[in-house]
Amino acid sequence: MLVVILENAPPRLRGRLAIWLLEVRAGVYVGEYGRKVREYIWAQVTEGIEDGNAVIIWRAPGQEAGFEFETLGHNRRVPVQMDGVKLVEFHAEAALPQGIRPDKAL
Amino acid sequence: MLPPLKPLPIKERISVLYVEKGNLDVLDGAFVVVDKNGVRTHIPIGGVACLMLEVGTRISHAAVRLAAQVGTLLVWIGEGGVRLYSAGQPGGARSDRLLYQAALALDDEARLKVVREMYRRRFGEEPPARRSVEQLRGIEGARVREMYKLLARQFGVEWRQRNYDVESWDAGDLPNRCLSAATSCLYGVTEAAVLAAGYAPAVGFIHTGKPLSFVYDVADIYKFETVVPLAFSIAAKRPSEPERDVRLQCRDIFRTSRLLERIIPDIENILAAGDRQPPKPHDEQVAPAIPNAEGIGDPGHRTG
Repeated sequence: MLVVILENAPPRLRGRLAIWLLEVRAGVYVGEYGRKVREYIWAQVTEGIEDGNAVIIWRAPGQEAGFEFETLGHNRRVPVQMDGVKLVEFHAEAALPQGIRPDKAL
Repeated sequence: MLPPLKPLPIKERISVLYVEKGNLDVLDGAFVVVDKNGVRTHIPIGGVACLMLEVGTRISHAAVRLAAQVGTLLVWIGEGGVRLYSAGQPGGARSDRLLYQAALALDDEARLKVVREMYRRRFGEEPPARRSVEQLRGIEGARVREMYKLLARQFGVEWRQRNYDVESWDAGDLPNRCLSAATSCLYGVTEAAVLAAGYAPAVGFIHTGKPLSFVYDVADIYKFETVVPLAFSIAAKRPSEPERDVRLQCRDIFRTSRLLERIIPDIENILAAGDRQPPKPHDEQVAPAIPNAEGIGDPGHRTG
């Protein structure tokens, strides 16, 4: 299981993802692929996201949570490590540190 | 800018998708079917091995180009699901594999070994020793006729003989109609796999003289394990839309038998039974000036 969620993404990226995944809601894409294909799809998002933001979630039976995710771009929800577990912080918009891309915060 | 499009490996894809009617086009880079009311349906074309286009479809230049870029085989089919024409995933991309396949087919000893391996996989037992390809074909033909009869009896279907002629089906010949729809579905998927593996669909070992001879060779290995029992079981129920039932269940059986994962490794193993090394390029030959782009797809997929 593979889920990609795009916000504020350019139309050509949205169309591009629809080549492999099913857009079940605006900006929400779902499919079932292995690691190589997942990395290939994520490379498309990385190159094409521009000012938008994205998250990719996939099944990872080896992880305690059973899934893994990665984010890209500016969003008020920022992944953090807490006691070895990956959680999500929610920032009031004003409190986000200037010039730091939340995806680099981890 | 977005990175270039590349084909995904066949084993990662769903087997086959039929589009009954509508205009197939590209919108914002995605493959869409637009119906007469303007309703759009996205098709994840890169995640499909073979797209079957029925008589009510029209397809644009941009859509065919996109299908070619992602290495998806397009097959146009006519009445009863029988194939007319195909495009979108050009073969012949790998000269080393074509030469290897041709070398095996040209060498009597290697060809017999390949045919014996096909027989072994198909019937799950060792073929009788010291038989020519001709004799093996005879044994095979007799066994296949027996299997048709046996399955017809098992499912309680009236059976005369296999008839391939779409024009001459009578109302009672439901099993032949179901069989033809089911085999054309299997051939579409098999052709996509043969092309993706980099081999020529026309260079067969048991079959010859047809554009898809090698596809028939490979498909026959799976035919009696998958689509033939399915076709008889559907014919036994006398459904109102037999072709539709056949294609829906074909997809299920391809998934449960893990066909797309097995097919390319199986092709390699069958050819390896010929006991010949794939040819090396000659010293004086010129290597590509621009190296081929790295891909994540199968060897026969074009990446440039």
